[in-house]
Order: sequence, then C-alpha cells, then structure tokens
Amino acid sequence: METISIIILVVSFIFLLLRGVPVAYSIGVSAILTLLTTVDPIAAFTTIAQRMATGLDSFSLLAIPMFVLAGQIMNKGGIAFRLIEFAKLLVGWVPGGLFFVNIFSNMLFGSISGSAIASVSAIGGFMGPLMKKEGYDEKLSASTNITSSVTGLLIPPSNVLIVYSLASGGVSIGALFMAGYIPGILLGLGLMLVSTYYSKKLNYPVIKGTTFKNALSTTVKAVPSLSLLVVIIGGIVSGIFTATEASGIAVVYALILTLIYKELKVNEIPQILLDATKTTAIVVLLVGASMGMSWVMSYLDIPQTVAESLLSFSDSKVVILLLITFILLFVGTFMDITPAVLIFTPIFLPVVTALGVDPIHFGIILILNLSIGLVTPPVGTVLFVGASIAEIKIENLFKSMLPYYLAMIIVLLIITFSEKLVLFIPKFFGM
Amino acid sequence: MEKVKQFIDNILKKVVIFLMAAIVLTIVWQVVSRYIFNSPSEFTDELSRYLLIWVGILGAAYVTGARGHIAIDFFVQKFFPKRVKQNEYFIQSSILLFAISVLIIGGARLVYITLSLGQISSSLQIPLGFVYLVLPLGGIIIAFYSIYHMSQLNKKAI
Repeated sequence: METISIIILVVSFIFLLLRGVPVAYSIGVSAILTLLTTVDPIAAFTTIAQRMATGLDSFSLLAIPMFVLAGQIMNKGGIAFRLIEFAKLLVGWVPGGLFFVNIFSNMLFGSISGSAIASVSAIGGFMGPLMKKEGYDEKLSASTNITSSVTGLLIPPSNVLIVYSLASGGVSIGALFMAGYIPGILLGLGLMLVSTYYSKKLNYPVIKGTTFKNALSTTVKAVPSLSLLVVIIGGIVSGIFTATEASGIAVVYALILTLIYKELKVNEIPQILLDATKTTAIVVLLVGASMGMSWVMSYLDIPQTVAESLLSFSDSKVVILLLITFILLFVGTFMDITPAVLIFTPIFLPVVTALGVDPIHFGIILILNLSIGLVTPPVGTVLFVGASIAEIKIENLFKSMLPYYLAMIIVLLIITFSEKLVLFIPKFFGM
Repeated sequence: MEKVKQFIDNILKKVVIFLMAAIVLTIVWQVVSRYIFNSPSEFTDELSRYLLIWVGILGAAYVTGARGHIAIDFFVQKFFPKRVKQNEYFIQSSILLFAISVLIIGGARLVYITLSLGQISSSLQIPLGFVYLVLPLGGIIIAFYSIYHMSQLNKKAI
C-alpha cells in the first residue's frame, strides 16, 4: 500500500512538472492524489488546507517579503552604482580589474539585496555597458556577472537561507547567515581566479589610479549603503533584533536612501509594493504547498524510506554526500532554487544528520549546490535574466561559462568536505 | 468575462498593495515600539503573520491570473511544440482541481471547523476562522482565473 502511494506521489509530481503545470500547483495536486489513496477525499483536502495555513503562519517567513521589497527598492539604482564605484576603488587596480569589480559588486549588492536576480540585473545593467566601453568581451562579461550574482545567496542576508530554515524545521537563521560568509567569499574568490586567467590571456587593461580626494569621496558615498549591512547583520548576530525585524529595517533604510538619492519617486512606491507582492506570493504558495507535501511525505514515511535505501547503498558520509550532491546538481538544472530547497530538505536532511552532518553545514551545501542550477541551462532564472540584460543568446554563453562552472563545482566540493571551515564563524559567535 | 477579469485584477491589485504596505508598517512599528519606546507591542507579531497569509494567498491568485508562477515550460515547447495549446487545458485544469479541492472545499471546511471550535487568536482576540477565510476566497478567484484562461483558448480556436 505504501509503495503504491510513494509511486503515485513521485510519478504524478514529475508528470505534472514536465507538462508545465506551475511548480506550486504540481506539488499541491500530487500531494492530494497521494493522500486520496489512503484517506477519504474531504479529510485529505482539509488536511492539506490546514497544513498550508499553519505552515504559512510564521514570523520568520515574513523576512522574505521584506528582503524582497528592500531588494526591489535598491534595484532602482543609486545604491548599486555607489557600490560599483567603491568596488572599483578597492579591486580595480588588478589586470582585468572590471571583472573583479563586477564580482565584488555582486558580492556586496547581492548580500545587501538578498536576491541573485536583483543583483544580476542591477549590477549587470551598470557593468555591462562599462565593460563594453573598455573593450571587454561581452560574453565573458555576461558570464562573470551571471555566475558571481549567486554569491549573494550565501552571503547574508539571504532569502533562500530563510526558506531552508523553515523547511528544516527551525535551524537558526542567524547561524545560517554566519555560516554563509566563508563559502560565499570563497565562491567569489574562485570566480575571480577564473577571470584573472581570462584577463591575462586577453591582456586586459588596468584601471588608472585615482586621486586620494576621489578615493575618499567614493568611500564616503558608499558608507550609507554598506552600513545597512552592518546594521542588519550586527543586529541579528548580537540578538538585538530578529531576522524579520532586521528585514523591516532594511526596507525603511533602503527607502530613505533611494528617496534621498532621488532615484525613486513617491508615486513609484505602489508599483514596487506590487512587484514585491508578486515575488512573495510565488514563494508563499510554494511554501504552503510544500508544507502540505512534506506532511504527506512524512505520513508515508518517505524520508525514512529514502534514508534507509541511501544508507543501505553506503554508510560512508563521503559517498552519501557525493551522491546527494550529484542528485541536487541534476535537480538544480531544471528546478528553481526555492521549490528545490522546500522539497529536498525534508528528504535529505534526516539522512545526512544520521551520518553526523551538521544541519547548518548541510544548508550551505544545499544552497551552493542549487545556486549552480540557477546559472545552468535548460532552466536557470539567473542565467536567463543575466543573458537578456547583456542581450546575448544563452547558447552563445555556454563556452565562456564553462571555466566558471568548473570553479563553482570545485568550491562546492571544498565546502562539502570541510565542515570546520563552514562552521568557523557561527562557532566563533557561539551559535 | 474579460471585463470581470479586469475588475477582479484591479481590486486584487489594490488590496495586495494595501496589505503589503500594512505589513511593512506593522513590522516597523514592532521595532520602534520595542527599541525606541521600550514598550514591546503585543499585537504586531500576530497581525503581521496574518497579513502575510492574506497577502500570500491573494497575491498567489493575482499571479495565477497573470500566469506568473514558476513552471517548467521548456519540455513541452521543445518536444511537443504542436501540443502546446492542448497542454494548456491540462495545466489550467490542474490549477482548477487544486483550487476547488484544497482551497475551496478544504479551506471552507477548515474555516467551519475553527469557527465552530471557537478558536480565538491569542493577542488580537479575533476568531482564527476569519484568518483562514482567505483560503476559500483565494480559491474562488484562482478557479475563476483558470476557467477564464480556458475560455480564452476556446476563443482563439474559432
């Protein structure tokens, strides 16, 4: 009986997905179909509805719309531009400096806005034309921008880490945020290494030095944007406020900054609220439906079944982690990061914790893994947005992306097998 | 039907913008009251959570109307390019199935159960059933949108 239910769940889900039914509805419908095999229809419908309602009733979940909103506001310009100028000052002096500037700006902006898509479009919109003017290869510039924009998913604050915290049943958001720093920076460094190789090969120019006065004024202009990070992260780590309260502060702070910079008019605010609502609603429906689905899965003991079969295959931590990495890389190529986190966290987390993997560490592995899927075809939202901003066809990007993919996978492997490195900062703060 | 859709779109848009602004203000108020006035506000935590459920489900309905939910459409387009339209019926009926079964029937029953049990929220003292009312409400709107999208397909055929 149980085997039949599991088959129905998996087969109907994949079938609905491939037919192009929106992921959230695919999750919901396959959950109902599965539940119908064991309980009566009305009870099944009510149970799923109840799981959705109680699953959405969460104060942590509120941080997501707030960070989305802050990201949308920052997308209006002003902040992105000032961060790029600051990055130019810091890393522009190396050969092929604009690649470094692009990567570093994405790390800063992606971390402040918490969204890879906001980052790839805001930074790419500025950097693309600039690099073109300096004679940089357009495909290389676009590839650099696209791959580096996912660093912000690891460097806090990060919405997908909040989603992971929800899906895992309450791993500390603060600890996850702290654990994201080293992997996020390592990823940025890996990408910089690849860009150095390209710049050396193509003999790209160094940005001319600037006067001390200019340097000072650039730094001063970047301070208000950068202090947002200090306030948010400092506040969360020191326990002054929760991630959700911090996200509310981020919205107000970003709003005031962009109004002062005159990049945003008051009458544009309703449209920004609507855009943020759309992004939020997509996540909310996914979270709600996944709560229903994960209840059905645990009702059918699916996580346990998966755990048993994976562990019967091998009980080596290394083998299982590699196997999961392989599965997730594959899943990531066609599924967006949020639904993938929601679906696979409840399935894989019990397996790896049984083998002694720290849930915080696993969260970082999972996010980095699925981030790679965001920049790979056939389905990669960040890849799509980045390519369309650069006005390049995705097919033409593949070759210049390859070395970057390789760097990402190497960083992923390093992160996967060095728990101490990932947990260093959270441990340092006693989290 | 076109006019009805525009009417619902418009109202929904205004409602979600209002609710979203309300969430921001509620959370900001929570921070302000706790750290500046030093008297933590009791209701903000609950209110913002309930607002999120409403904005989430109504927003999800709005996005369904605009066909904005994440989906994997490359498979059908690549391998069955001639079936795209026929497939659209399948997609919309799956959405309709979910809206009717879980959101309308399941949601309405959830509202009925929580109301008849008299469950009251701890700080705002409102019946929880009212919070869950958004499930059947959103369900009805989503059902309308999916029927609307199917009727549009019919039109194009003639």
